[in-house]
Amino acid sequence: MLPLVSLTLFLPLVGAVLILCLPKPATRTVHVIAIITAALTLIGALSMWFQGASGAGFSQVEELQWIPAIGAAYRVGVDGISLPLVLLSAVLFLVAVIYTSSLRERPRAYIALVLLLETASIGTFTALDGILFYVFFEVSLVSMYFMIAGWGHEDRQRAALMFFIYTLLGSLPLLLAILGLYLGSPEPTFDMRAWIENPPLEGAAAMWALIAMLITFAVKIPAVPLHTWLPAAHVQAPTVGSVILAGVMLKFGTYGLVRFALQMTPDAFREAGVVVLVLGVVSALYGAFAALAQSDLKRLVAYTSVNHMGYVIVGVAVAAITLDPSVRTVALDGAVLQMFSHGLVTGALFLLVGMIQDRAHTREMGELGGLLKTVPMLGWTFVLAAFASLGLPGLAHFPAEFQIFLATLSASPAAVVVILGIAIIAGTFLKALRETFLGEPRQRWQSMPDLSAREWLAVGPLLVLTVGTGVAPSWVLGIIHRTTSALAL
Amino acid sequence: MARDLALLIPEIAVLLTAVGALIAEMLRRPQIALLVAVSGLIVATGLTVSLIGEDTTVFGGSFRVDDLSVWAKLILLPATILAIFLARVDVRGTVREGTVYSLLCFATIGALVLAGAGDTMFLVLGTLLTGLATFALVAYPDTDPATEAAMKFFVFASVTGAIMIFGLSYWFGAAGSTLLADLPGMDTMPMAVLLGFVAVVVGLGYKASLVPFHFWAPDAYEGGPLSIAAYLSVVPKIGALFALAQVVRDLPPESGWTAIIAGLAVLTMTYGYLAALAQTNVIRLLAYSSIAQSGYFLLGILAVGASELALPSIILFAAAYAAMNLGAFAVAASTGRTLNDFDGLGRAQPLIGLAMVIFLLSLVGIPPLAGFVGKFLLFAAVIDVQYTWVAVVAIINSVLSLAVYLRLVVPMYRQGNVVVARTDIWLKAVLIIALTVTLLLGVFAQVFVGPFA
Repeated sequence: MLPLVSLTLFLPLVGAVLILCLPKPATRTVHVIAIITAALTLIGALSMWFQGASGAGFSQVEELQWIPAIGAAYRVGVDGISLPLVLLSAVLFLVAVIYTSSLRERPRAYIALVLLLETASIGTFTALDGILFYVFFEVSLVSMYFMIAGWGHEDRQRAALMFFIYTLLGSLPLLLAILGLYLGSPEPTFDMRAWIENPPLEGAAAMWALIAMLITFAVKIPAVPLHTWLPAAHVQAPTVGSVILAGVMLKFGTYGLVRFALQMTPDAFREAGVVVLVLGVVSALYGAFAALAQSDLKRLVAYTSVNHMGYVIVGVAVAAITLDPSVRTVALDGAVLQMFSHGLVTGALFLLVGMIQDRAHTREMGELGGLLKTVPMLGWTFVLAAFASLGLPGLAHFPAEFQIFLATLSASPAAVVVILGIAIIAGTFLKALRETFLGEPRQRWQSMPDLSAREWLAVGPLLVLTVGTGVAPSWVLGIIHRTTSALAL
Repeated sequence: MARDLALLIPEIAVLLTAVGALIAEMLRRPQIALLVAVSGLIVATGLTVSLIGEDTTVFGGSFRVDDLSVWAKLILLPATILAIFLARVDVRGTVREGTVYSLLCFATIGALVLAGAGDTMFLVLGTLLTGLATFALVAYPDTDPATEAAMKFFVFASVTGAIMIFGLSYWFGAAGSTLLADLPGMDTMPMAVLLGFVAVVVGLGYKASLVPFHFWAPDAYEGGPLSIAAYLSVVPKIGALFALAQVVRDLPPESGWTAIIAGLAVLTMTYGYLAALAQTNVIRLLAYSSIAQSGYFLLGILAVGASELALPSIILFAAAYAAMNLGAFAVAASTGRTLNDFDGLGRAQPLIGLAMVIFLLSLVGIPPLAGFVGKFLLFAAVIDVQYTWVAVVAIINSVLSLAVYLRLVVPMYRQGNVVVARTDIWLKAVLIIALTVTLLLGVFAQVFVGPFA
């Protein structure tokens, strides 16, 4: 039996090391190795997908002794919550390296960082050991820091520093929580399965651990008021950095919210559920309004992420509050699917914004205009992605958000006010479409080229998946549902 | 007697090595001195391996052969070898080259004596032995800054040493014995316990450069040869911190020593990093960083006796610290002493740049590097003994430290002047060894933690 999870997990790292070890490789070689590695990783993720996950607990678990004296081991595995995220990561990283294959500036280091980040991302989703999870969680920070600092736009140093310090400060409380869970366990262990099986903390200790986790994950998600690093980092990050940051790394926060906060301190989460719910509602609405106020296309997309991730928080909070298992299942189904959809749609949007920026060297909507006529293919793909992002039925976000709102309505009807976010986001995108793509084409953009084959290859798969998930969400929901319906809290 | 000597074989081997190197130097054969020193230290390390797991004392309880003292040898002897490699780069071809190798071995014996101290007199002996050897080493270049640095170092050492001896006389008076194992007998005299402890903290704290006894460190590091700064920041420091751990093992817990250590830990970490933020000289920056790192050791010392994780965490962190700190100093040795020298290093010398980034991130405590594994266990130990607030302060300091170390990393990837990095074979060896340990320590952490559980 092949250790599929470990293979998938470490393949990108092997690719990165290979690229670093080659003496003075040609730029082309570097990109070819990167694409092959990412494609192989996707194949690994797909085989994991077809192996599937059984209902309760974790499947495809692989375990290796590491520090038995303190109960730490190399443990990886998946369930219906992590499996879609692993697949999402593999897809997004593949399109990212395809998109980036035109890069000429120090491609070796850049690709190595991207591949390192892929290992860190898949590792975060598959780790079943507290220390291991934290290791991957932090490694992702380091590679993202260097990506922004080395290849970002104008003000990248400051943005990168802010990103690193902000999220490091944010992730250290998680370290305390992990240590608390460890020291609270009857038999000291870092096995996350044991922590989920028998939540080791109770009472005030559990509440403190929950607060620590909430800080960490709220920074990562990011939830208002801890979101201020996000627009800065996104605006300065290179396109691929933004795609991965929004598409994959934000999910670390929401994934952690489910895996750690909800599953390891369920009672405390139930008590504090209303607070988290309010946080989610505020976050979603604030993100929407902030997006509406932007004139920079990339910032706009960044703020819609705050909005969409706010819905995920709402979904998880509802799952914690409700006493009705069927409502909980619907809420979690929606939340996990929302993470998946958001990765696809926002990934596509950031790629498209990046393509516009490559051509026009500006992201100001006021300076663009009429692009639908100048570059019709780019324009229409953007329209499709924007409609998906505003939650149009038949596209990826709709089934997810629908389930979240449905569960919210039955668990805490007042919170349904969050639905207003949809209207505001719709307004935001319609405004953006009008300013950027509609109207008369401007003289200065006449010579703008339309999508190239490389760009099609990057954005095409995401759009296909977006439509696929919107029309027939059951291919993802099936696997999610099997786990969420067996979840005992 | 024979048994005692058999258990002391590694120390004896180091002593013979030091003497051998000295004889070679007297014959004016510095190369032979280098060879003797390095091979002697390797042999001594090898001899120590058979002692792993030993937990006993020799010479009537005055010297301990336990986990702390055995691992001190396994960490400090290789660290000394690396320091000798660095020193070779600094002093090659100077008049008394061989004495440097010999003195480094003597100073290491002092650190080993400290780490295995079972008697207050060994504390005095150890501080003096490392002190005398290192004063001479700092002053070795015979330049004004070096002489001044050595003078400061010497005066500081004399005063703190005197205070320690004075305080130890309280313990002797109260316990009627100089053995550390007899310290619990003083629990009827809490004031004497505390006074003596404060004095010991002064004496060992100077050696470990804890705030507020750290003032000599940045000056001595900057004034002396770079290799000696690297050595001072690792070997005597770890020796002194292990000695402190030996002392608190026997201290009555109700005497309030934990509060003193907790306070010192917080002070040392915070002051060290804040001061490091203001430095423009890389050596001073690394000096303040190494001061702050001492504060992290204190987290483990705080938990000694009350948590099973305490000793493994101290030992693991010591190994990690030795590797990453020596590595960082080695990069500085190849690049230069000011922040400007690091401009563009990462672009001109990608591999050295990458190594430096790894050492610095490890010093911050970013996983999966060695520094993370060490700090992780230190945090666990200190939370285990209900000093969560100290762990929280330590964590906040880790964020602060990121700002400190990024001050070095950021210029490295700037479009800068073309850096001419020295890539001596000795420097390369140090870099490769330190890098390997920094990268892989986490994977093999069980080796350090295993024997205790």
